[in-house]
Amino acid sequence: MTTEAAAEQARSRPQWGRALRTSGTLIGFLAIIIFFTINIPGTFLSLPNWLNISQQVSMLGVVAFTMTIVMVMGDFDLSVGSMASLAGIIAALLFRDSQPVLAGVIVALAVGLLGGLFNGILVSYIGIMPFVATLGTLTMFNGLAFLLSGGETIFGRDIPADFSSFARGGIPIGSVGERTLLFPNLTIVALIVLALVWLLLEQTTLGRRLYAIGGNAEAARLGGVRVRLLRLIAFMLTGVGAALGGLMYASRVASANPTQGAGLMLDAIAAVFLGMTMSEEGEPHVLGTLVGVLILGVLDNGLTQMRVDSYVREILIGAIIVAAVTSSSLAKRGR
Amino acid sequence: MQQTPLLTIRHADKHYGATAVLVDASLDLLPGEIHALMGENGAGKSTLIKILAGVVAPDRAEIHLNGQPAHIHSPQAAFDLGLRFIHQELHVVPQLSVAENLFLSHRYPRRAGFLVDWQRLNRDARAELAQLGITHIDPRAHIARLSTGDQMLIKIASAFVAGDRTPPAIYIMDEPTAALTGEEVSRLFGVIHKLKARGCAVLYVSHRMDEIFQIADRVTVMRDGRVVGTQAIADTTTEALIRLMTGRELAQAYPPREVPPGDQVVLAARDVHSDHVEAINFELRAGEILGLAGLAGSGRTELLRALVGADPLRSGEIQLNGELLNDLTPVSAWGHGLAYVPEERRSQGLILSRSIRDNITLPHLQRMSRGGVMLDRRGEEQLSSRVGASVRLKAAGPRQITRQLSGGNQQKVMFARAMGQTPRLLLLDEPTRGVDVGAKYDIYTLIRQASSAGVGVILASSDLGELLGLCDRILILHERRQAAIVAAEGLNQHELLALCYGEVTS
Repeated sequence: MTTEAAAEQARSRPQWGRALRTSGTLIGFLAIIIFFTINIPGTFLSLPNWLNISQQVSMLGVVAFTMTIVMVMGDFDLSVGSMASLAGIIAALLFRDSQPVLAGVIVALAVGLLGGLFNGILVSYIGIMPFVATLGTLTMFNGLAFLLSGGETIFGRDIPADFSSFARGGIPIGSVGERTLLFPNLTIVALIVLALVWLLLEQTTLGRRLYAIGGNAEAARLGGVRVRLLRLIAFMLTGVGAALGGLMYASRVASANPTQGAGLMLDAIAAVFLGMTMSEEGEPHVLGTLVGVLILGVLDNGLTQMRVDSYVREILIGAIIVAAVTSSSLAKRGR
Repeated sequence: MQQTPLLTIRHADKHYGATAVLVDASLDLLPGEIHALMGENGAGKSTLIKILAGVVAPDRAEIHLNGQPAHIHSPQAAFDLGLRFIHQELHVVPQLSVAENLFLSHRYPRRAGFLVDWQRLNRDARAELAQLGITHIDPRAHIARLSTGDQMLIKIASAFVAGDRTPPAIYIMDEPTAALTGEEVSRLFGVIHKLKARGCAVLYVSHRMDEIFQIADRVTVMRDGRVVGTQAIADTTTEALIRLMTGRELAQAYPPREVPPGDQVVLAARDVHSDHVEAINFELRAGEILGLAGLAGSGRTELLRALVGADPLRSGEIQLNGELLNDLTPVSAWGHGLAYVPEERRSQGLILSRSIRDNITLPHLQRMSRGGVMLDRRGEEQLSSRVGASVRLKAAGPRQITRQLSGGNQQKVMFARAMGQTPRLLLLDEPTRGVDVGAKYDIYTLIRQASSAGVGVILASSDLGELLGLCDRILILHERRQAAIVAAEGLNQHELLALCYGEVTS
């Protein structure tokens, strides 16, 4: 190595500093697990509890993984929660109309795609800031869900057993006492989505170009990237993810309600942010998002088991997100 | 007579891990002296300046101001000690007026204790500017409306404002002329001479030899983190300085043309109009290097942008090898083999947060991937290493993050991208801005090699010597219109500059 190459490498800062900066969130996650393992002995670290956690976070996971796709470009989609509710309502209405399960699912996903297309057109072709555009569509999708459902929850006989049993089912992997241990179907769906998003973002030209747009949109455009088209595609994928998350939720609770997706958006964005603290350049990566989702899910699960008040739980989760992002940006300031 | 230096720094050391970036560096600034600091990128100039600015903490250094020991532990401390720093890149607040920007680091004058006295602010600003000989700018003007050069001038002027503090005595300028045109440079030099007359000291970092010889009293050269010499400017020559900086001899400033340009027309522009340039007509032959000359704002960048489809054409046509290019966009331009190196590597050229590999292969991904979909990382890294080596890129490897590279090496990454798949046409906008002597010669050699291989080259530059040294013909732009196309041979810098000012030569 020449002296100048050495100097170039010296510019890239000490190794241990980088390690600390990018693994702080992971260390925090381990600390949380150790804390709950000690305070909820026996149950917390058991396989059934972790299968339970994986099922609890599967809807959030799907929404957060696909949210990562737009956040890679530096954009947001605030409409994912109301899209999730809308998708559940649309499927449930079709079920009430005695349409087959498959048709309901396909139509609901198509609505997600169309909603994403609409977001994408607003952001990419009309040029509205994603925050404003998707805040608008959040309200629109929300209103539409209320309008279509008449503001009521659709449940009971209207929801076919084929649909709701999916969320209760899984692949048997053993037994505890007389109970069969299932690897939940919802977890499998989330893992498939995770794998697809990982492939897309890390292994395809589309993913590479999305990261380029996020790094410097003008440089990407001058470097031969179809910025507008790709942004549109990314929003469509996030829309489909939101609709899928909504369907999973509806299947799990065997009902559809125009507000049931409401909490997903903030948690999904929080999970992506938590993941971003784990990358050197502060970019979102879907595996980082997975850690973010697990942190949120584990906290929720552990604190519930410790009978912590749900309001206190919210304060704690919010504080942890702020702490992670703060420590990461403080560490970056030092460079 | 022995003067007490305004500033001395002795035995400055700085290590990052095991790598020494500054070794026992010493330097002094005398009152009324313009002291040039030269060296290739990575020689340690920036580190030395950052230590003086209180941005980097040295492992060891003795700093004296007016003979008194001083500690510069923060940028604020440097400011309070009367040091001012002027960087090559523009940092103005575009929403504010000229006067507001000028006094940004100071308290604005008040009325009734808490209201800003705008009249006095503007009056003070006008007085400050007049002192520096800048009379053509209205302090009330919105700074975003000024030309880049004038904005730079205001930024520089703001470092001269004393406000209600003791007047600053030491100015450290890091390539202040990188974005300036000839006229603006001479204005800046006028300002520097005024400072000198006041007894201030100026540390002046530049890669431009002509400037150094025009303005400096002494010059200090750095190489590999060490000071390799300090000399009176009268006692040295360009060749001697280059030898000191590189540790090797450079035969010539510009590599000579070895292969004559061909006859075949590769690019033809007929009556091209975009929103920013008008009435462009030229033909470019295979292997020919066509220069674009003109004052700042004359439309050099805008012409290149029109040719690569970054700005849409309003009328006229562009033909590549006789084939009409319709609906030109940056995507289709790369597809046709039009490789573009934009002017601003940070804002338009590079994705700094990504690896060297990602930056080099970005426009070539379609052909580099499996079926246009799946990435072929190994192939990309092989290509990146190969073209990286061909442009003499100094980096840890293709996966290194581009942000971590020095300016000259970042520029080479853009070059490597352009050469990634054999281009038919190279469109270069200020390819050597902020690049050191050695890297500059590397880039000139690359341009020459590409042209010898039959690639047509269009080179926009504000460095007239560069245009005359490399180009076959030069297209002169004046107020966003084509003014003339002239042969470079037999032309000198004065004649070329006169053409840029719109003067007709007989």
